[in-house]
Amino acid sequence: MITINNLHKKFNQGTLNEVYALKGINIKINKGDFVTIIGTNGSGKSTLLNAIAGTFLPDEGSIFIDGNEVTNQVEFKRAKYISRVFQNPFSGTAAEMTIAENLHLASLRGSRRYPIIGLNHQSINTYKEELKQLEMQMEDRTDSLIGTLSGGQRQAITLLMAVIKRPLVLLLDEHTAALDPKSAAQIINLTKKFIERDNLTAVMVTHSMQQALELGNRTIMMNKGEIIEDLSLADKRRLTVNDLLNKFSEIRKKEKLTDELVLDLKNEYI
Amino acid sequence: MASASGVNVELFKIFAVAVANGLVGLSGGLIAQYQGFADIGMGIGTVVIGLASVIIGESVLKSRNIAVKILSAIVGAVVFRLMIACALFIGFNPNDLKLLTALFVLFTLFITKYLNDNKKSSTSESKSGRQVRKYAPVLIGVVLIGVVGAFVYSTFFSKPAKTFKIGVLQVADNGLLNITRESFLVEIKKLGYTEENCELLVENANGELPNVNAILDKFLMNKVDVIVAISTPVTQAAIKKVTKIPVVFATVANPFILKAGESDSVHLPNVTGVYGWVPMEKVLEYTRQIIPGKLKLGVMWDPAQANSVFNVEQLKKAVTNYNDIEFEGVHIASSNEVYQAAQSLVAKGINMFLLPPDNIVYSAFESIVKAADTRNLPIIMCDIERLESGSVFTYGYDYTISGIQAANMVNRILNGENIANIPFERYKRVSMGVNLKAAEKCGVIVPDDIINSATLIVNKDGSIIDKTPKLKSKIRTALFLFNDSKSALEVSKGVNDFFKEKNVLKKKNMTLDVFNAQNEFHLANSVAQKIVSNNYDYIITLSTPSLQVMANNNKKIPHVFGFVSDPYRMGIAKDSMNHIENITGVQTLQPVESSIKTIREILPKAKTIGIVWNPAEACSEACTEIARKACELYGFKLVEVNVTNTSEVQEAVNSLISKKIDVFLTSGDNTVVMAVPMIAKMLKEHKIPFVTNAFSDVEVGAFLSVGADYYEVGRETAKYALKVINGSRTKDLKIYKFVPEKMYLNLKLAEEYGIKIDQKIINKAAKVLR
Repeated sequence: MITINNLHKKFNQGTLNEVYALKGINIKINKGDFVTIIGTNGSGKSTLLNAIAGTFLPDEGSIFIDGNEVTNQVEFKRAKYISRVFQNPFSGTAAEMTIAENLHLASLRGSRRYPIIGLNHQSINTYKEELKQLEMQMEDRTDSLIGTLSGGQRQAITLLMAVIKRPLVLLLDEHTAALDPKSAAQIINLTKKFIERDNLTAVMVTHSMQQALELGNRTIMMNKGEIIEDLSLADKRRLTVNDLLNKFSEIRKKEKLTDELVLDLKNEYI
Repeated sequence: MASASGVNVELFKIFAVAVANGLVGLSGGLIAQYQGFADIGMGIGTVVIGLASVIIGESVLKSRNIAVKILSAIVGAVVFRLMIACALFIGFNPNDLKLLTALFVLFTLFITKYLNDNKKSSTSESKSGRQVRKYAPVLIGVVLIGVVGAFVYSTFFSKPAKTFKIGVLQVADNGLLNITRESFLVEIKKLGYTEENCELLVENANGELPNVNAILDKFLMNKVDVIVAISTPVTQAAIKKVTKIPVVFATVANPFILKAGESDSVHLPNVTGVYGWVPMEKVLEYTRQIIPGKLKLGVMWDPAQANSVFNVEQLKKAVTNYNDIEFEGVHIASSNEVYQAAQSLVAKGINMFLLPPDNIVYSAFESIVKAADTRNLPIIMCDIERLESGSVFTYGYDYTISGIQAANMVNRILNGENIANIPFERYKRVSMGVNLKAAEKCGVIVPDDIINSATLIVNKDGSIIDKTPKLKSKIRTALFLFNDSKSALEVSKGVNDFFKEKNVLKKKNMTLDVFNAQNEFHLANSVAQKIVSNNYDYIITLSTPSLQVMANNNKKIPHVFGFVSDPYRMGIAKDSMNHIENITGVQTLQPVESSIKTIREILPKAKTIGIVWNPAEACSEACTEIARKACELYGFKLVEVNVTNTSEVQEAVNSLISKKIDVFLTSGDNTVVMAVPMIAKMLKEHKIPFVTNAFSDVEVGAFLSVGADYYEVGRETAKYALKVINGSRTKDLKIYKFVPEKMYLNLKLAEEYGIKIDQKIINKAAKVLR
């Protein structure tokens, strides 16, 4: 489904702040794969996700989605294959619009024809059906503004918006990081439910090793813009969180990580 | 987020901006059509108004519906304009309007914020919101108390208690009714009812009969002492409604058909007044004297008007006394039928039109003139106001006397006389008009004794002799400035000084009200409308924009302009004689020619003159054209460089310097004028003399300036205005070119450049810098 060949990206090239974010990524994700990505801060997880989504164009390499080259396609054009859920619950929805309008916006993805026919009763009824699946009693509030909802509710709507058109690829960028534990669990359950229901190809960036091991059929570990480990479902069943931590410890030995960085890792993962 | 959902964000931004700009362009176009002209500076300040309108609109109408949002912008704009109109109506100085609009916008915002906070549940209320809520009632209370206080003060304390109240009501804004009202108001003042001891409620029903009753109710509520009813419909309503308060009517043809009385001395106990119908037999008698021989009269009237029928009956009766006069009548029902009716009469072979008083026929008088013109038929009628429009002879009443007689009756009533004992009075003065110009055209010879007894004569050359005793009322003149620029203030000072010196204000009993549009076109328009609706007697405008705005709003009031460089380009006039009838004035062009002449005198060897100018400026274009001609005349070569804004001037001047010009000239170009100090510095380095047309430019480094003396321009404009106030018609006064030159020489620079200047030229200069 997604093929990435030798992908390179540098930010702020030629300045003091130069960051070599992706150093030749090669990966092939099959149809129906649910891939989780873990790694330290600045390891390039989100950059990889953004490269697939088309937020920026890569310096080198190529990206194929479903056999089509999208390397140089702009973001809104790729949107017909890809849908995304962001880390910030506020950036996935339009606060000044109602729930129904947001869902309508999402369901026009990839099939935009002008002039756009607006909302009607029939479509509102379909959206109500979809909202029932969230089990958050939002089906009666289709006319409320998104701005009046809580973060968890907004993130659930964003997720629903992402899957409403059965996208080829679903990108999840630490989408539970900004939520309280209860809402986070709710969102994770919904994510699992939707991916299984539609057999979606999904890529999820996460900070939680537990999540990384429990979810999906494949886990990728990244460090300094490179993929250092690619674990299959069988591997994942075998491994524990401690094993993963040890993997990072090996890197520490290799690269002589400072104690500060180790502290950083511990803070983040344990 | 939108981009991630497959929306082309850039495209939509461009689309939105394009739609917005399209709407802006559309409204600009509408404004230009409405005002009748456009100017590059018109948009300044409009953005703020637009923003205020949107803010007000959105606070008034809250909805997410796109149609309602558009409507809210329109509503906001209307509310905002209404507010300005109200402020002007109340009598605010346009200078205070800015403060007022700012306060209004602030107030609207504050109220909405307050209402919003009230609506929101208390849980989501912010700290600042709570503070606003806490103080809001106090602030609103203060504002309300202030408003109420001001109102109470103005109604109860500022004016001393009145001893008399007189209600004056007319049915519509119609020539003779206005004359009656004005003469009444002047006379009642003369009789000692001044502002201190008498309150006058002067009302106009604007042609709507329901208004008449409403206004009469208002009079009754206000407990007026006397009601003055001007015109038949008002009298009719007043007789029915008012039984206890005295009613004095004026300008009523026949009070007996209204059942106001049976004879002059036997009448309703609370009603008296002045009346009179035009004696049609007398009119016919004069007609006989003016046009002898066999006659076929063309007559038209509206059978629905009792007065008209009465007059026509009289005329028919009179016609039977003459064997050789025939009566040819036609009915009309509205003013747009008049032209056709007149044509049908002409086709029936009438010799002349004789028009008894009829409001509808008289209101469409111009179309009768048009029909009569085809066969040069004379028109005889009863309204002296229309003599100039093409009637040969008019015979009727002088309605000023109606007002004067009514005022005297009111005086008697207020002095305690029993109204039942005051008999009706007939008008005591007739008006008779002869138009010799129209007579000549129709081949009619008016006998000398008629000309001698006429009160108003239009001579063959169009001049007018007015023998009616004039009322001396207050003359109101509006002085309209566009901005506070230095030269504008100089002109304005000239106007004021002239009027003061000649003691015009006292002699003519004139007031001079100054209006200033603060350099904003939308304000200028409001001010102009206010001047027109307040019926000023004369208008003086200083500057081109105020002339433009005024000319578009005012088609009647005599208007004298000054401080205008080219009135011909704006459609005010075709040539100095051929201009809009009510507008004339003084034209002042920069003395370009004379500055070029002076250059020749000072520098006999100079060959080329460089000039930088902006082709978008009409005034600049005019000046450059003159410069071209003058250069040819005095043997110079003119090198021109065009600019479109001030930032390009430096480069333009540099290019001219490299072309080795001998002299640099700027005239009336606003784009270049902004850069004069910089140009002076650049030219000084190359020792090129810098000549300008603004007097004070020498002080910032010019070599020579020949400018117009704007103070003198102001005095000349005032002089011209005085001519109009003294009775000359603007139509007959040609647009007058007046350029008082003033020269300023920079001898310091002359020494530096090594130029020797003849003492004669130095003597000519009004000022010299050494």
